Amino acid sequence: MTRYAIVADLNRCVGCQTCTAACKHANATAPGIQWRKVLDFEVGEYPDVTRAFLPVGCMHCDDPPCMDVCPTGATRKRDDGIVTIDYDICIGCAYCAVSCPYQARFRVDQPAAAYGGKAMRHEALREDPARIGVAQKCTFCVERIDAGCAQGLVPGVDGAATPACVNSCIAGALHMGDTDDPDSNVSVLLRENRHFRMHEDLGTGPGTYYLYDKKIGDDTAGDTAGEPVPMIAEPAGLAAVSPRLQTNWDWRAAANFVLGGTGAGLFVATVLVAMSTHVAWWAAFIALGLVAVGLSCVWLEIGRPWRFLNVYLNPKSSWMSREAVAALPFFGFGGLYLLWPGALVGLAAAASGLVFAYCQGRILRAAKGIPAWRQAGIVPLIVVTGLAEGAGIFTVMAVVAGYEFMLLSTIGSGLMALIALRAMLWQAYRGALGEAGAPAGALKALDGGFLNLSGRVQAVVLAVAVAGLLSPPVLALAGLLVLLTGWGFKYRLITGAAFNQGFAINRMPARGAGKSGPGVKPGWTVS
Amino acid sequence: MNKPGNPLRNSVSSYCYQCVAGPDLLKVDTIDGVPFQIRPNGSAAKIHPAAGKVCVKAFGLIQKTNNPHRIQTPMMRTNPKKGRGEDPGFEPVSWDVALEAICERLNKARADGLKDASGFPRVAASFGGGGTPTVYMGTFPAFLSAWGPIDMSFGSGQGVKCYHSEHLYGELWHRAFTVSPDTPLVELILSFGANVEASGGVCGVKRHADARDRGVKRIQIEPHLSITGACSAQWVAIRPKTDPAFMFALLHVLLHEIPRERLDIAFLKRRTSSPYLIAPNGFYLRDPDSRKPLIWDLKTARAVAFDTPDTDPALEREFTLSGLEVGPDDVEWAHDGITCKPAFAHLVAHVEPYSPDWAAAICDVKAGVIRDTAQQYIDHAHVGETIEIDGKPMPFRPVAISLGKSVCNGWGGYECVWARTLMACLVGGLEVPGGTLGTTVRLNRPADNRWSSVVPGPDGFMSYPMNPTRKGEWQSSPSARHAHQTLVPLAANSPWSQALGPTHLAWMMQKEGFDHLPEPTQPDVWFVYRTNPVVSFWETDVISDAIANFPFTVCFAYTMDETNHMADVLLPECTDLEGLQLIRIGGSKYVEQFWDHQGFALRDPAAAPMGEARDFTWIATELARRTGLLAKYNTSINKGAAGVRLFGENYDFSLDVDTAHSVEQIWDHSCRAASAELTDGAESQGLEYFREYGFRTKPFPRAQWYLYPAMVAQDLRFELPYQERLLRIGQELGARLHEVGITWWDRQLQEYEAMPHWQDLQGLWEDALEKRYDVKIGDYPFWLLSARSMQYSWGGNAGLQMIHEVADNVAGHGGVMMNPAAAQKLGLSEGERVEIASPTGTTTGAVILRQGIRPDTLLMIGQFDHWKTPFAKDLKTPSMNALTPMMLELTDSTGSGADLVRVALRKIGAGA
Repeated sequence: MTRYAIVADLNRCVGCQTCTAACKHANATAPGIQWRKVLDFEVGEYPDVTRAFLPVGCMHCDDPPCMDVCPTGATRKRDDGIVTIDYDICIGCAYCAVSCPYQARFRVDQPAAAYGGKAMRHEALREDPARIGVAQKCTFCVERIDAGCAQGLVPGVDGAATPACVNSCIAGALHMGDTDDPDSNVSVLLRENRHFRMHEDLGTGPGTYYLYDKKIGDDTAGDTAGEPVPMIAEPAGLAAVSPRLQTNWDWRAAANFVLGGTGAGLFVATVLVAMSTHVAWWAAFIALGLVAVGLSCVWLEIGRPWRFLNVYLNPKSSWMSREAVAALPFFGFGGLYLLWPGALVGLAAAASGLVFAYCQGRILRAAKGIPAWRQAGIVPLIVVTGLAEGAGIFTVMAVVAGYEFMLLSTIGSGLMALIALRAMLWQAYRGALGEAGAPAGALKALDGGFLNLSGRVQAVVLAVAVAGLLSPPVLALAGLLVLLTGWGFKYRLITGAAFNQGFAINRMPARGAGKSGPGVKPGWTVS
Repeated sequence: MNKPGNPLRNSVSSYCYQCVAGPDLLKVDTIDGVPFQIRPNGSAAKIHPAAGKVCVKAFGLIQKTNNPHRIQTPMMRTNPKKGRGEDPGFEPVSWDVALEAICERLNKARADGLKDASGFPRVAASFGGGGTPTVYMGTFPAFLSAWGPIDMSFGSGQGVKCYHSEHLYGELWHRAFTVSPDTPLVELILSFGANVEASGGVCGVKRHADARDRGVKRIQIEPHLSITGACSAQWVAIRPKTDPAFMFALLHVLLHEIPRERLDIAFLKRRTSSPYLIAPNGFYLRDPDSRKPLIWDLKTARAVAFDTPDTDPALEREFTLSGLEVGPDDVEWAHDGITCKPAFAHLVAHVEPYSPDWAAAICDVKAGVIRDTAQQYIDHAHVGETIEIDGKPMPFRPVAISLGKSVCNGWGGYECVWARTLMACLVGGLEVPGGTLGTTVRLNRPADNRWSSVVPGPDGFMSYPMNPTRKGEWQSSPSARHAHQTLVPLAANSPWSQALGPTHLAWMMQKEGFDHLPEPTQPDVWFVYRTNPVVSFWETDVISDAIANFPFTVCFAYTMDETNHMADVLLPECTDLEGLQLIRIGGSKYVEQFWDHQGFALRDPAAAPMGEARDFTWIATELARRTGLLAKYNTSINKGAAGVRLFGENYDFSLDVDTAHSVEQIWDHSCRAASAELTDGAESQGLEYFREYGFRTKPFPRAQWYLYPAMVAQDLRFELPYQERLLRIGQELGARLHEVGITWWDRQLQEYEAMPHWQDLQGLWEDALEKRYDVKIGDYPFWLLSARSMQYSWGGNAGLQMIHEVADNVAGHGGVMMNPAAAQKLGLSEGERVEIASPTGTTTGAVILRQGIRPDTLLMIGQFDHWKTPFAKDLKTPSMNALTPMMLELTDSTGSGADLVRVALRKIGAGA
């Protein structure tokens, strides 16, 4: 087998950005888009400071999260390890972008010229409409590799078969080759040097290795690259490498999670309540409408909206595809339920709604690029908050509709149970997130404001719900608070707490006769 | 054949010589004649030290060529008023109109006499980039040569942003206009602010990476953790401008704390002036008959001439003897029975006070660190070892010291360059494998061969073309406005000398003349190419005002910029990828460009000129034709003014001198001559050959990287440690200046010491600023420094979006870098806009926090503050140039100043 990988020798790299520029030339990337670049790290406090440069780009992972999440199958991994994108089927949902822990994926929605206005002649010459509105990233200069291999050349050895970044590297820091070949250039380097891979704990198997020190014999002293990287919550001067708020998914994506979960929850509540009384068709209608509006918002956000049906192409691994699949029976049975409100149809629709909400939780869980999303506890939390929001809005509507007191009390009891369960799941989620460590900005956002799921706020909501057992208007207020705190949490989760993974350097390299030192994971904290 | 409708792809050979660390070879890919991609030239991998690669700057050439902001037609000013606030009202004109306007001025200047009433050339020219414009200006040097006297003293950074003391003293001591470690062999480098990973070019980066790979130790000594500091094994955060104290302390350790036998005594005795006996007035004690300096021969226990065979010269002790001492202006003292010590003994005494403990307080560096550094230096020196180079044994001394900008610029430069070169001498590591090397000559001749420039001079040293200081020979009437031949003997008198004079004096003179120098005048015609002094020099307002006062300025213009805003005529020339030119490559050139090959490379046009842009060679030919200088111009080309002499022993490809030749004809002849030169006349392939292959080389002997064999062959000595010659010319210069009433250069005259004493440079700066501006220096608590950027330096590329984009990945660009603790004290946080004020000016920028900078120091990378250059003017990037004063008090004896000033910071609020 063949496994192409990049090996970056941090002792050699000077951060000159020649690879960055060469990549821009070779791939005609838009202004501001850098498939490859070199980061500038600093560790320590004056005067005990070290500085190092870290080339980054697509890591062409063994288990690329971008591929698994892709709803269209546009992202694929070749047998030689190169991860590719088929621009012709990508819908530009940017799910891959939020799932990549290396910030390696981009979406450009409009052709852009370096100086604005009319494109320069070389820009016009190389404009590629196929890349507009879809995901793009480092291709490993796959065309060069394939063309070179076809001529019998060896990637990483022969320039004509080697990525532009490696060819251009003036320090000889970047190497490329086949790690499955024990005699290849990169295999030799990996044998002879200590190395790490960035964010290896995420299990993606990144295909970029960083050499940070020589390996002398069997000497393993100082080989601490596998140990946790020291975190610094507020590092001075490292903003460029610290986690940043993702910008791929905005309020439109948030609306899908907000309305989708609430709609699904509302439908479940409607069906369950209907077992004790008449069917509140208006509630079912609203539930379907909420989910539909949420999905419409997503449609507005994707880069290639008229390819939206491609979302069904990858249910094998993508939770976004599965969400879309789940929406079909939900709307089918739900619509039928409006026309023919039988219990079985209702339960089928409610079950589909639950699956839909579960898919939403899994969508976030699979987004490995966003620490606040990928926590295991996010899935039950998303499902339960959806159910709670549905129960909450149903409660409000039930009070307005004048449901009898006993039924309201039953609904209220269910609401209280959901509030308590949601609070517990929040605590579990937040606790695990804080314990594992997360971007400081994410934790700050999750804990901030008052429309959230914190124990303090939810205790108030629960108290209001208890009081609501005596007073329908208060119960309605409780329902409203459940709804708003759930919405607040999810909106914040998607738009405010969605700090990406950021970058980290596991070890500062030994420079010449110097010694390697501890690395840094800037912008991260445990709490 | 390309099928109709299919895009025509092509790949063209070219070179990048945008910075002084070039040239490097590249390929330009085109589609239908449009250049779209720069690539390394893989076919040069075997002959180029960096495997045929080019740095990030070269990748900016695509945008540079296709930039929509380019000036594409000749233009002439319609508004006679000049100044920053004036709209020049440039109107497009034909080439014929533009050239006629220029030549009318030139012809009038010629008719009026080549020099004006003050004796200054009527025509001036300014070129930037450390001489690199010549590799883009085609045959323009031949036109300048044909013209006659040209004033090139209006600098755009020369002298204040280069490595000035290194250039001058380096050439004097070891033919080292630029100095480099022998990076392929070195083991230990002490780097005082040298930023080779940012400014050493592709060869520097590659070689130092190789060196790190094999375990070299580099200790970076500088106030901020630069790119080079990042790539070093150790960073020592020294207080700004205190490097001489650190280096003197290193000398102290080597001479007072380390056993003498660990030094290279043989080298000191045979290859330096260490044994020369010093007479009471500070000059050598000489043999009265031969007038040769005397040494004390331990074998015969008597004083003999320094070149007496089979001697064992004494380095220490006192001796009682007689002899002749010759001072300035040939004043003589006959001595009898005096006690004399060798220069080495004087050196030992000289550095005795400069202990590490003394330096620690000055440098804010622990004495132990300094001591340890010196110990490592001697440990790695391998004194006594040899290595085989080109089949012959040579000393092997793998230790070197590098000096950066501002360290070897301005006051303190002499001390640092002297100490660095002396450190090498003490271990025999000057110009030997592994040691400290010069890599090019500019002031000595021939400029393309360091070995050939080794010519015997007085007293067993190499000759040096000093500007004369003796009575009757001294040039009291300056030949250029900065008076380099009048004030700076070391600047010499080569074609490069004007660029190495006190260039800021030319600008200062435009504001206020200097007593007893000729009345300052403006040049009748000023040519400007690849430089923007309104941005790149100091006190930019003063520069701007001076330029606005020039009567006729011709700018070879790429885009509008701050300098050509004041021009009368703008001429759009073919940029890097459009022009045709042949240049020399390889051998031993600037910085780390010492190769195992030498030859020529072609810059083949990758694209047709944009708009009405014309090849520089065409422009030069037209100027020559229209000024009646065609014959002289062609003769200059034939003699090599365009880079290669067109005739030799076995060949003659000279141009007919009376014909206006086409661009391709001229370069075809050059290519043929180049082929012939490389093959001793055996081959004569022309332009087509170079177009096909891009370059042509032959081997360059590695032994010629080192001056040592040439010195041994002629039994010459390096003129260290004692500077008798400088002491003499300093006193002579002082006498000459005083004879004409010039006393404003007296402080500079004090620098002519036989061995430099430490001086409080920080105090010197502080006192000068306080006195000049009547300020309290405490109100300006920070030292502001500048650093080079690989992405920008020398590139003239501040207006390129791609360069800005990628440079942004490197911390420090785009703002003012400061220590977080210092920022916290001022209540400043990352990204806040601040006003940075010096006693002479202000600028604004965003705060960039980094731990790798001293709390008392600020740093601004590169040169910005543009107000006219498209794109760059919108960057809001600060520059220290507006803050740095041009002051005589801060000008050293070589005419150089340092990028250093005291500043204050003030928050101006977000978004300001």
